[in-house]
Amino acid sequence: MKKTWKTAMLTLVNLLTASLFVTACGTSTGTGNADEPGVTTVTLWHGLTSIDLDNMNNVVKVFEEKNPTVKIKLVYTESSEGSDQKLLTAVAGGNPPDAALFDRFKVGTWAAQGSLTDLSDMAEKSGIRKEMYYPFAWDESSYQGKLYAIPLDTDARLLFYNKDHFKEVGLDPENPPKTIAELESAAEKLTIKEGKRFKRVGFIPWYSQGWLYTWGWVFGGQFQDAATGKITANDPKVVEALQWMTDFGKKYNVEDITGFTSAAGTEEMDPFISGQISMKVTGNFAVKGIKKFNPKLNYGVTQIPSPSGKDFTTWSGGGSIIIPKGAKNAEVAWKFLEFLGKEEGQELVNKDSNLSVIDAVNVKYGYKDDPIMKEFINVLPNSHNRPVIPEGQLLWNELASATEKSTHGNGTPKENLDRVTETVNKALEKYNK
Amino acid sequence: MEKLAGAAPAAAVPATRRKRSLRRIGITGWLFASPWILGLLCFYAVPMLSSIYFSFTTYSILQPGEFVGLSNYVELFNDPLFWKSIYNTIYFAVFFVPLSIFVGVSLAMMLNMKVKGMAMFRTIFFLPTLVPQVALSVLWMWLLHPNFGLVNGMLASIGIDGPPWLGGEAWSKPSLILMSLWGIGQAVVIYLAGLGDISEEYYEAAAIDGASWFQKTRAVTLPLLTPVIFYNLVMGTIGAFQQFTLPYTLTKGQGTPSNSMTFYVMYLYENGFRYFKMGYASAMAWILFVIVMALTALIFVTSKRWVHYQGK
Repeated sequence: MKKTWKTAMLTLVNLLTASLFVTACGTSTGTGNADEPGVTTVTLWHGLTSIDLDNMNNVVKVFEEKNPTVKIKLVYTESSEGSDQKLLTAVAGGNPPDAALFDRFKVGTWAAQGSLTDLSDMAEKSGIRKEMYYPFAWDESSYQGKLYAIPLDTDARLLFYNKDHFKEVGLDPENPPKTIAELESAAEKLTIKEGKRFKRVGFIPWYSQGWLYTWGWVFGGQFQDAATGKITANDPKVVEALQWMTDFGKKYNVEDITGFTSAAGTEEMDPFISGQISMKVTGNFAVKGIKKFNPKLNYGVTQIPSPSGKDFTTWSGGGSIIIPKGAKNAEVAWKFLEFLGKEEGQELVNKDSNLSVIDAVNVKYGYKDDPIMKEFINVLPNSHNRPVIPEGQLLWNELASATEKSTHGNGTPKENLDRVTETVNKALEKYNK
Repeated sequence: MEKLAGAAPAAAVPATRRKRSLRRIGITGWLFASPWILGLLCFYAVPMLSSIYFSFTTYSILQPGEFVGLSNYVELFNDPLFWKSIYNTIYFAVFFVPLSIFVGVSLAMMLNMKVKGMAMFRTIFFLPTLVPQVALSVLWMWLLHPNFGLVNGMLASIGIDGPPWLGGEAWSKPSLILMSLWGIGQAVVIYLAGLGDISEEYYEAAAIDGASWFQKTRAVTLPLLTPVIFYNLVMGTIGAFQQFTLPYTLTKGQGTPSNSMTFYVMYLYENGFRYFKMGYASAMAWILFVIVMALTALIFVTSKRWVHYQGK
């Protein structure tokens, strides 16, 4: 009888070992080994499609020609949250890819978790310096003075306005609003409201890309204290911006506006494209959609109106490329990052698609001669990046919630922003220990 | 080793040997089941037990975190969004579960009638459950568009000023309940099977007694359908507490407007995978487990009073 138990246990142990073996095999795939002697394969995870993927393939081709000992293996992982989860599991499991495309917004969080390779030394040796890029792009790629990502592309927010609507109500389409006061009066002229329903909306401050980050900076506020690193969402200027948004909402009845915005569609149903809203704050990425769904739309872009009518500003995000902690071929992967971070790679990777993080490349693209694109290029040197903190997502969500609460009359802007500041700073405390 | 005794007729084998052979068969069974048991241990038991441990730590997936005792739970009870998400989830469950049973049983009874072309109707009611939830939510976003949606368009044509549906705090959850009823086909199929199981004799007896349709429904159909209702009640409650896909896609994970669509599992997901607070999320998961466990137990206890099994 003992013998049978022994065999049973033995079988169990065998099975366990077998299953361990299977999982072990599973983890060793994906890093990719050199198929030829002397050639190192670098695995790159990305979520690119269509033109961006074509560009990346092109970058890889040019890079491989110059570096015959390196092969870049592009692996598509679903974009947005999905890709992060996959990367998260891979990093946590100690088996990350050699490099990955990554939203710069998340660099702070991942760096604080110790999951990104510090690129500072390699960058210095390769001559990759802050001065090459727009300041915000470098700042958003760094955490606590160390570089963790190479910025790839960027965007910016501006005021888009419908020139036909402007003509229709007697506004000069070549002289769009510059100050907040002008913006308000234009919005009033453009709005057509019947009862609770908008037949046409002039402007909604928090619609699309125009929300608290946008207005906080446009009003001259700061969301983070540069010296202490503490969050200052209750900066008087930010409070002022939110107060303005709240008052705007009150004027047009926020419930009616919410009915409009929550239901606003995308693509051909986008209210700006279909002419249901006359002005909105959005980014350069919207240009492509307008071209595709309503190429005849007569619109212009202008700097986001500010209280003074000057010192225009905006904010920018964008993609980057990182080397996860624990990557097997970090040294070789760096060669590719370096290539992407310098002018030649930048020009290839953003062609006919995105704004480059290097000004000279955008000039080369001819963006400075394009009536729409030049406005974006003009504002980029003054653009802001979101605070690089481990709790970037929390701050984002808290600001969104404060905006919603204030505009709906649940607490004053000051109260709500005080609470955001307190919540986020409290969450940040544990990283300063 | 001796030959396996299982081949010999049981009666011919002495009692002790029979016992031994049974044990052998038992072991063989365990061996055959072991891959499944291993899977259960590795992919259910271990993660579950680890999540109990993680709920007492600041585990962030990327870092092991430190042991903090009950502080995740304390923090949860002071987190307004935690309470809001519980409120939203209970609101949804309280309205959706009874409503889904009522609608489901009514539909099943209608679909049980002997009318020509019934197979087609049954198919029609089952079809929506085959549509992925993400696609379903996108479809409904269009239908419920306050200004241009089909629903408000139809309401407007009869002179009713439709509500903002998903855009308003007061209407967002009722809208979600309405949408969720779309996926009722699965339950209807089970009710239909239950209805088919009720013996015709009861109805014949009731007809001889002169019972009306209503009396037959009340005294025969419903009581004999209670085991199926019981099953759907338990599954429906558990499902309602795990509401995720529809509100997540509808609000792009934001729970708008004003967190009225932040459901418990959505908030759990956000904590775990967007804020990297996996310890906190684990604590939430265990609270959910306790709540659902308690509710299920409650349903089981009360079921003795209202669930009737045929032939008992």
